[in-house]
Amino acid sequence: MGVSYIPVCRLGEIAAGELKPIEIGDRQLLLVQVDGGYAAFARECPHEAADLATGVVEGSRVRCANHGYCFDLTTGECQLPKGGPPLTTLPVEVRGEEICIKLEW
Amino acid sequence: MAYDLVIKGGRIYDGSGMPSYMGDIAIRNGRIVEIGRISDGARRTIDAGGLAVSPGFIDHHTHMDAQILWDPYATSEPQHGVTSIVMGNCGLALAPAKPSDHDAIVKSFVRVEAIPRSVLDQGVPWGWHTYGDYLDALEGKIGVNVGGLAGHIAVRQYAMGEESVERAATAKEIEQMKGLVLEAMESGALGISTNRNERHMREDGKPVGSRLATDEELFALCRVLSDLNSGVIETILGLNKIDHFKFYDRLARVTGRPILWQSLQHRWAEPNLWREQLDAVAPIFEDGYQAYGLSHTVPLVRHFSLKNCQVFDEFPTWKAIMFLPVEARREALKEPETRKKLRADLLDPRRTNFHRRWDVVRVEKCVKPENQRYNGKSVAEMAALRGQEPLEAFLDLALEENLDTVFWNANNGGDAAAMGEILRSPYVLIGTSDAGAHVQFGADFGYGTTLLGLWVRERQLLSLEYAVHKLTFHIASIFGLEGRGLLRPGYAADVAIFDPKTVGAHEPEWANDYPGKTKRLIQRAEGMHATIVNGRPIYEDGKLTGELPGEVLRGTAYRGRQAAAA
Repeated sequence: MGVSYIPVCRLGEIAAGELKPIEIGDRQLLLVQVDGGYAAFARECPHEAADLATGVVEGSRVRCANHGYCFDLTTGECQLPKGGPPLTTLPVEVRGEEICIKLEW
Repeated sequence: MAYDLVIKGGRIYDGSGMPSYMGDIAIRNGRIVEIGRISDGARRTIDAGGLAVSPGFIDHHTHMDAQILWDPYATSEPQHGVTSIVMGNCGLALAPAKPSDHDAIVKSFVRVEAIPRSVLDQGVPWGWHTYGDYLDALEGKIGVNVGGLAGHIAVRQYAMGEESVERAATAKEIEQMKGLVLEAMESGALGISTNRNERHMREDGKPVGSRLATDEELFALCRVLSDLNSGVIETILGLNKIDHFKFYDRLARVTGRPILWQSLQHRWAEPNLWREQLDAVAPIFEDGYQAYGLSHTVPLVRHFSLKNCQVFDEFPTWKAIMFLPVEARREALKEPETRKKLRADLLDPRRTNFHRRWDVVRVEKCVKPENQRYNGKSVAEMAALRGQEPLEAFLDLALEENLDTVFWNANNGGDAAAMGEILRSPYVLIGTSDAGAHVQFGADFGYGTTLLGLWVRERQLLSLEYAVHKLTFHIASIFGLEGRGLLRPGYAADVAIFDPKTVGAHEPEWANDYPGKTKRLIQRAEGMHATIVNGRPIYEDGKLTGELPGEVLRGTAYRGRQAAAA
């Protein structure tokens, strides 16, 4: 029953290709530039909890370095293997100079 | 002295699954020579009073191919009672290899098994050519016993070079590969492994070579084992599908060799899949063929509070709320309208990892004294005690305790009834430690100590006798490890001495013991007093002893060839 925008980073504070660790609500996330925008996703792989900070971003997906699971950075869908557990992703909006996570409940 | 070593006064679990009994074990020249009441003298006596004495455990699913070259103990294997390891799984092996193949082989290990390239570049002293050369290079330098499977990826790379990751093999190349498999088997390989997992690529993004093999190629290589009447066929096909059983069935019937397939475990997201898998494999066994499913003992457990909670991320309202600042989260969770949405989220019929079962989620630790009575109870039980509906009780309890209540959940391996059936099944091979792989992401050296501590002692799902059998002779029989896996006169003196009242695995921890002081995860054990390989302790009272009594475990094809030559 509400919307909240939580600033996590200022524009220019994240480089292209960088997986920037951020924290909101006591949870660890990663922020990345993708397709001219930004994506935020849980740092923990939903397969076996590996740290996705050691993963590789390939276009609009991230590949876990542990077992090679691949996830769409926008929807969180597990692309490889199909039917695998989804990655937690959160919507990102740029508001002025700030990159914000949008929470809507 | 009559004996080199006597283990005195222990309770003997001999690996057969038969009832345990009190007795002493006398060892000479690396072998058990007598069991009973031993009164003759020995150079050394170990007092095993109050402890269990069993065959050393056999970790049949490792990727220790590289680590064993710089770490003769394959740590943390001995800490958990493991005396023998099998490497070369999932199609990956370090031999055969020409110098021009080295980089390609490393590329597969780096990506598929998540071993840092710098570690392999520094730690693997290439120098062998054939599979036999590789095994020979280990002789006399190992603390644990080591056996290996011929890896389809290395075999294909040797025969086809870089084209192995680009195309199907020609008939001539298949013939060459058959020769390489034969050489490996006659040199001591315990079988062959292959890999068709769609996720398994090399460091450069190309599929591992075995994924390009046709059925014709794979079956031709496996028939080499049939002709020798030796060895297992280990497979990984990717995400578990019931369709795969047609393939296992055909492979088992065509080759007549034991098939090992990955994997079988209880998952709440697909709570009946394990039973469907066991039902699908039963006809293969009923017809006299073997296709064992590999299963794990370590449940994927989450301990969480509503201050840091990933469990509900698949549900949009839950997810948004769990990322709110804590004060805002508390306020949101109190709102009746929000609770309606939370409830509606959980009623969404799509398939999710979270099982939505409040009889599975447990209250692990309450903060307030008046709530301690809920500790260890399921949320459903706690709600009944409070006279509430489970979701309301779950949220109310957390709010009463400032969101600090710790809850427990397991999406995998958390159903004791299912785990009991899986672990007891004769069609299931226990152990998928993956030791030596994924070294910075996890450490499951303790799959055996977890079986003995969690599933035998705490949950009482199977007897200690049967659990020991599953960790020892069950595996030795399938892999053809003659003279191992039992405590019997004439058998190799591979022994684990542990306390059944305390045995268990610790949480993994970091160490900097890989080449270049690279960090990786290790795992300590509780209650493991001694691990003895070929009659000599390699781990005792929490320390490695420095002894190197390990032997290369060579399969029946090698032994048959040696006998014929003699």
